[in-house]
Order: sequence, then structure tokens, then C-alpha cells
Amino acid sequence: MNALFWLAAAVAVLSTALAISRPSPVRGLVYFVVSLLAVAVIFFLLGAPFVAAFEVILYAGGIMVLFLFAVMLLGTGPDAVATERQALRPRTWLGPAALGLVLLAELVVALVRRGAAAAPGGMVGPERVGLALVGPYLLAVEIASMLLVAALVGAVHLGRREEGEPR
Amino acid sequence: MEAPAHPIVQRFAARAVADEARDVPTFWIDAARIHEVLTFLKDEVERPYRMLYDLTAIDERMRRAAPGPPREMTVVYHLLSLERNQDVRLKVAVPSEAPAVPTATDIWPSASWYEREVWDMFGVKFDGHPDLRRILMPPTWRGHPLRKDHPARATEMGVFELPDERAQAEEEAMRSAEREPTDSTRILTLNLGPQHPGTHGVLRIVLDLDGERIVDARPDIGFHHRGAEKMGERQSWHTFIPYTDRIDYLGGVVNELPYLLAVEALAGIEVPDRAKVIRIMLCELFRIASHLVWYGTFAQDLGALSPVFYMFTDRERAFQIVEAICGARMHPGWFRIGGVAQDLPRGWDGLVREFCEHMPDRLREYDRMVMKNPIFQARTRGIGAYTTAQAIEWGVTGPGLRATGLGWDFRKKRPYGGYDHFEFDIPTAAAGDSYARAEVRVAEMWQSLRIIEQCVNDMPGGPVKADHPLATPPPKERALHDIEALITHFLGVSWGPVIPAGEAFCGVEATKGSNGYYLVSDGDVHPYRVRIRTPSFPHMQMLPAISRGLMVSDLVTILGSIDFVLADVDR
Amino acid sequence: MMPLAILLGVVTFAGGLVWAERRLLALWQDRYGPNRVGPFGLLQVVADAIKLLTKEDWVPPFADRALFVLAPALVMVTALLSFAVVPVAPGIGVVGSNVGLLFFLAMTSMGAWGVVLAGWASNSKYSLLGGLRSAAQLLTYEAFMGLSLCGVVILAGSFDLREIVLAQRRVWFVVPQIVGCLTFLVAGLAAIHRLPFDLPEAEAELVAGYHSEYSGMKFAMFFVAEYVGITLISALSAVLFFGGWLGPVLPPIVWFFLKTSFFVGFFILLRAALPRPRFDQLMAFGWKVMLPVSLANLLVTGAIVLS
Repeated sequence: MNALFWLAAAVAVLSTALAISRPSPVRGLVYFVVSLLAVAVIFFLLGAPFVAAFEVILYAGGIMVLFLFAVMLLGTGPDAVATERQALRPRTWLGPAALGLVLLAELVVALVRRGAAAAPGGMVGPERVGLALVGPYLLAVEIASMLLVAALVGAVHLGRREEGEPR
Repeated sequence: MEAPAHPIVQRFAARAVADEARDVPTFWIDAARIHEVLTFLKDEVERPYRMLYDLTAIDERMRRAAPGPPREMTVVYHLLSLERNQDVRLKVAVPSEAPAVPTATDIWPSASWYEREVWDMFGVKFDGHPDLRRILMPPTWRGHPLRKDHPARATEMGVFELPDERAQAEEEAMRSAEREPTDSTRILTLNLGPQHPGTHGVLRIVLDLDGERIVDARPDIGFHHRGAEKMGERQSWHTFIPYTDRIDYLGGVVNELPYLLAVEALAGIEVPDRAKVIRIMLCELFRIASHLVWYGTFAQDLGALSPVFYMFTDRERAFQIVEAICGARMHPGWFRIGGVAQDLPRGWDGLVREFCEHMPDRLREYDRMVMKNPIFQARTRGIGAYTTAQAIEWGVTGPGLRATGLGWDFRKKRPYGGYDHFEFDIPTAAAGDSYARAEVRVAEMWQSLRIIEQCVNDMPGGPVKADHPLATPPPKERALHDIEALITHFLGVSWGPVIPAGEAFCGVEATKGSNGYYLVSDGDVHPYRVRIRTPSFPHMQMLPAISRGLMVSDLVTILGSIDFVLADVDR
Repeated sequence: MMPLAILLGVVTFAGGLVWAERRLLALWQDRYGPNRVGPFGLLQVVADAIKLLTKEDWVPPFADRALFVLAPALVMVTALLSFAVVPVAPGIGVVGSNVGLLFFLAMTSMGAWGVVLAGWASNSKYSLLGGLRSAAQLLTYEAFMGLSLCGVVILAGSFDLREIVLAQRRVWFVVPQIVGCLTFLVAGLAAIHRLPFDLPEAEAELVAGYHSEYSGMKFAMFFVAEYVGITLISALSAVLFFGGWLGPVLPPIVWFFLKTSFFVGFFILLRAALPRPRFDQLMAFGWKVMLPVSLANLLVTGAIVLS
């Protein structure tokens, strides 16, 4: 179990790094999906198959396909790759990377102080997730849904065309 | 030539040429005035000539005896007035060195392709034409093929070689310009064809797409060009008949009819009744066969896989009759100058009756399967629509014109070859969209069945070929009795008949629209000029105008609903 | 052994399906279909397989090589992996998972990646349009595929396919969930892009769309994956709405096989019978008809179960 976890974790970290550093956006997306899949495996190993499945359905399947759709629609020729290359020069990423390292250090310190999280308490089935969502976390769910409705209305507004405007 | 002088004479006092033209009033116009005359005829005259039916040219340098003004080349405009049900032919004499006339593209949008064709084939420049490029021949071609000094046979042209560099250059010449991107959208240029399952043959359409929406469509034709008109000039009057079958290769004998009617008009042959009815029966059988192919492939273009198989099976039944009568199926070459090749075989009426009894049920089933299908309707209604005025402007004839609500059918308006003896209706539809065109064609099959039934019931007796010295092949019986008849027969068979000098035009209602043959005879054993006016050519030209703003899938719908045949476009 | 047996079974069934589809289509279209190779043309599949295996496996020079190779494998693997959670009969099946249904949905959405990537990696305009179409189509129809199944989940009280089958002992879910069943069939057709939902490959418009540039073995993967997909959707329709292996007299596995075959035949009949809608019509149908219908179905089911 532990070996699988480390393997999945390594894949996740590596593919995330590759997702950031690939000049081709589609390649980057593919690595990102691999990363998401690896995280899904970790969730599964931690005893949360429900979350794992949704990670794949929603993030890897739905949202990433949408990303890919957008990338394909905009089209990425050699110019886009060149632009990416430009953006990947050390000068541009050194600053954010340094800040990221500070965060990482904080995280590590916090984890070491508190000790690793307790081993997962067995499988968390769909029923428990559902009960938690409509029980203690009901307010959070409702607020999130409000947010989504707002996003939906915004999208409709942006996508709407005036009468007579060429489609 | 007419009792009240033609308006053109009243207005321009142009010299009317009466001696050559048999059925179409013909006038010689100065190149400088042609634009003015065309505008007058289209817009100003009472009951105007709204349709530019044809535009072509004749290289006159080899003419032996041509009445009219001296000239080296002639540009010929053929206008059609639906209100008058009358044509007018305008001729413009031009020199063979750097000939030029003003363009008519600002009067008719449909003039564009016709003028490009005349430029391509004869080298006549049209001043002011926005895009005067070759249209049928490859852009790299040298010379203008329909000029008399251009060779007609490959053997006269030297050895054909295609080294790599030349192949490369030819391919490069085919490259189409990519559209410049606008501020908001990036245009995707998509090369549809010449090999594409949706184009029904070797047609290339360069599409400028915004997503899947068509910003512009640029048809590129000529891949199926076989020089039919040039071939006509080196075939005898008789041996050209099989070539006509292959112009609209789904129409079979329907193509032979306008050619032969024009030849018979030149020769002054009256076709016996039995031959007329046989001709009409076969034509209507071919109309059904052609419409069935259209029906099936149209459904298939929209993703319905099965109808095409049923319809081809039924077409096979029609072909069995054609085979029983002619021996051949798709291209029988069965009509002859003055009649048909042979009398009907024994038992033909049984075959035809069986077909007439069988088809109605099938057509009703296809109605349920295709025309009433909601997905089919959603795909075709409102797609590729145009009005009657637009259709006339673009030179649209046939079902495409009748789908706009105008019941114009040459069989009724100018009954040719004996159609006046038959009872049938002209189906029309109102919407002018792809669905309306489909409705009209389906209804036409019913009418064709009606005509065929009348043919079976009232088949007259008598000979199937005119007893006329110019009818082909000449009768053999008398040749065996006296030497004079033998010599005439020998010449008639080996050289072919000598058709008297003159010119004749005949347009018929073919399967796809109006097919017209304009023949010029110099009093020789072969035509001096064969002009084939096909319906698909102007229909194809209209494609960009009716597909802009629609989706790629709609383009396929439109292509299917136009019902063109590439050989009919390119000849 | 069991996973291997099921894998082999599925692939064999899909192979047989290629033959069955061609023969059935031929039957409905008044023609013969393949009838020369072997008895009733049964060996046609073998001949085709040999042909495809020995053909040159060509990668176009303009393609994105790695993704071009990855795409067909992704389509094939996800289609086959979905079968892991399908309960064939009591004791026959790869794994029983309490999120089995979700696993199937996850695999379907990953399969979409294969198609879209194929369209992208081919670097050809027709393929690109096909890829775009499939991305949009799959997003649309996945949205309500999940929703259409929620009714079943509510009634069975589980995502576990085995328990869903067992919950149908009294009455098949097709009866209370007829709307869910219909929406699922439509969504399933769209997910495996079969006619009338074959817009990503529409041959009259996009000349095979996303797999225009594929040949040989890689094409064969798409080809077989399509039939594996049909089998999968048919098997799931049987499991979710028609009681899976349940049935009198005959052994459970036979029932499962019969029900699956019924749906396979139904899908083939659809292909013979229907034309193809236009892309925007398809999207409008998905968002404006199917999504509200499946939402309403969910609402009504939930209300009835709670009351």
C-alpha cells in the first residue's frame, strides 16, 4: 500500500512539473491530466473512492477536455510554442518558484511539527460523503452552488448575441 | 423577322441576322454597345430577358461560308425571357488577336463563370471582370483549347512528360490563397475535395471557416473536364451521339434528345410518332433513374445509410427495362438522327407496366422513410434557400427553379419532341430551400410515371425512324437494289451525313435542369461548333451565395440538394 | 483467470459484433453483406484482422507522434477497463466496487480524451474539426449521462452494479425509470458516437473526422474500441435497467448475454434507420431537451422515494 502511495505521489509531482514546463500547451494538458489521475489514485488509496472517481470524472474528464477544447479552438502553431519558450526562461519563473519554495517549507514544517496525518480511518463510502455534504457542510454546499449559478448566468450573458448580430 | 419589330431593333436599329438562326432571333451587336444592349434587355425592355441562359464563343476562322459581318471570332449571348417565353441571341464579332468585350458580371452575377470559361477556352478578355482566371483547364495550361488552331488529339501535342519539377509546379499552381485573419476571428481554410465523399465526384471547394461556420466557399471545377465540345468538332454528326450520354452521366438518353432535336432542326427531319413516344418513354425512365440516385445519395449525405440501397435496387428495375430495349444500361446511345436505333422488343410493355405498378408503393415508402423523417427535415428545411428572382439571376433551371414556386418546365412551356401530347403536371414548392428541391424531385417521379403509363397505353404504330436521306444509319434495303442508293448509303455510313449549313439551338428539360445544345453547321460531315449548355454549371456557381453563414454539414446538404453531376458541370 | 476470461470474452464478442453488424445491416438494406470467407462469412473478421495487422502502420510526418500513438491506446484501454465493474453473472465479474458506476463514468470521460487527442495529434484540419466536435459532444452528453443514472442509484441505494442488479429482483428498473433508461441510451449512443450521433466522424462531411489519418493497427484499435463501446453500453443498459443476469429458467450468464445482444441489435438497427442531425441541433437537443428531462426525472424520483 505504501509503495503504491509513493509511486502515485512521485508520478503526481513529476507530471505536474512536466505540465508546467512543456512548451506545447496540449502536452502540458496531458501531463496535467496524468497528475490528476495520480492524485485520484492517492485518494483511492486513502480510502476515498468516491472522491477519486469524481476527481477523474469532473477534473480529468470534464474540465480538462474543456481546456483542451479551448486550446484546439484557439489553435497553437509554432508561434505559441515559441511564446511559451520565452515564458519558460529562468528570469520569468525564478521569482514565483522562490515564493513557492517558501510555502513548501512552511508546509513541511507544519507537517513535521504535528506529525503525519493519522492513517485513514477505513473506507469512506459514497453514503458518508453524501451525508456529510447535506449535514454539517450544507451551508458550504449551498454557498458553492450560489457561486456556480452566478458563474452560469455570467456565462450566458457573455455568450449571448444581440439580435441581428452575425453569428 | 417578326411582325412587330423586335424591341432591340426599335431601340438600337441593330442589323438582325435572319438567315442563320432558325428559331432564335439573333442580332449582331458592336462590342462597344453590348453592355448597353444587355442592360436594356434585362432591365428596361417590357417583359424583360431576365436570365442569362448561356454565354459562349465561336472561333470563325475556318468557316467556309458564314453569313453576317466579317469576323474572326464571335461571342454569343443567349438570353431567356420567362415572361415572353422567348429567347434572344446576341452576337459580337471580335478579332482573334487579343479579343476583348466588356464584362456582363455587373448585370448578371452568373456571367462570371461563363466569361471565365470563354476566356479559358477562346482567350477572349472580358474587360472589368473581377476575377478572370481559367476555370476548366488547369492554371498552367498553354493556349485556349476551343480555338481552331489548338490541337484536338493528344497525338498532336507531343509526348506527355511529367518530371518531378513539373508535377511540383502543377501542384503548387493549385494552392489556394489562405484568408487573412480578421481582428476577431481566425479563419480556417479547409480544402474540401477534389476527393471527398460529400462532393459526389471530383469537385474541389475551398472553404473559409470560422469554427464550423462558412465564411466563404470557393468552388474549383474542371477536374472532370473532358473536352466534350472539342470532341464534337471532330466527330461526325452521328458518332457524337454516345458522347452526349456521358455529359450528365446519370441522365443517359435525356442528353441525346436536345442534341438530336437540334440536328434534326438543321436537317429538316420530321421524326415519326412512334419514335417520339419511344424517346419520351426512355427519357422519363431515365429521369426516374436519375432522381432515384439523387434521392438515395442525398439521404446518405445526411447520414441515412439504408435508403440508397433500396433506391438503387429500384433504379436497377428501370435499367432492366432500358437494357431490354437498348441492350445497354446507363449510356445506351439509343437515339438516332431521325428516330431511334431499333423498334421495341417483344414484351416490352409488360416490363414497363410492371415497373409502373411497382413504383408507387416504393415511392410512398420512401416518403415515410426519408421525406417525413424529422431529422431529415431539420437538416434540410431553410437550408440553402433562394428566391425565384435570385434563381433567375443565377441562371437556375429545373427542379431548383420550380422549388421557388415558379412552374417553369420546358416540356410544358416549349413542348419539344412530342411532349404536348401528354398529360402531366409541373410540381412546384414554395420555400426554395433544400427540402423544397427534394419535394419537387419526388413529385416529378410521380409525374414521370404518369407519362410512362401514357406511353405504354398509347404507343403509336409505324416506323421508328424517319425516311429521310440524312437519317442515320441510312436504310439498307434499297442499297442492295441500285448503285446510286448503295453509294449514298456507303457515304452516309463511312463519312456520315452532311448536315446543311446553319445553326440551331434546342433546350430541353433534362434531369438536373435545362440542357441545351447550340450547334453550328458549316455544311460538313461534322459540326463546326458544338456548344453544350448544362444546368449544373450555373447551379454550382451559385453555391457560395447560398452557403455563406451556414455550417459545413449544411454545405453537404446543399450539394446534395442541388443534384449536380460533375461531368455536367465540367463537360 | 477471471479478468483474462472476461477480457477475451469482450474482445471476441466485439469482433463477432463487427460481423453481426455488417450482416444485419445487409439484411435490412436488401443486400448480402460479407458471405464469402468461411461459413456465413464468419471468418471475415479474421481476414480483416490479418489485413489490419499486416498493413503499414503509418504515422503522418506532420502528426504529434507521441500523442498520435497514445490516443488509440487510450480509447481502447478505457473501453476495456470499464468492463472491470460490469457484473456478468453471480460470481462472474472482475471487481465489485462500491463506486462501480462512477468508475464507468470516469472511464467514459477518459475515453473522450483519446478521441479528442487523436483529432489534435493528427494535425489535419478534418481531424481537428472531428476532435472539436467530439469534445463538445462528449461534454454535453456526459453531463446528463450521470444524471440519467441517478434515478437508478436512488432506487438501488448503491453505486455498486451488483447491488443494482439485485435490487431489480422485484421489478426491472426500466419500469420506474423509463425516462432515465431512454436518456441513458441516448447519452450512451453519444458517448460511443454511433449514428445518429457519429458527428465526430461523419464521413460525408469530415471524412472519418478524428481518425482520418489513422491506418493499420492504430485504426484497428479505434475500430475495435467502437464495438467494445457498443458492447459496454449494451451490457450496462441490461444491468442498470433490465435486471442484468436475472431471468427465469436459463442460466444467468445466458440471460446477460441475451439482453446485451438485444441492445446491440437495437443500436445497429438505429444505424440502419436514422439520418444524422446537424452539430448545433445535436448540442441544442442535449442541453435543451435531454438535460432538463433527466433533471426532472431525478427530481421526481427523489420526491417519490422520500415520500
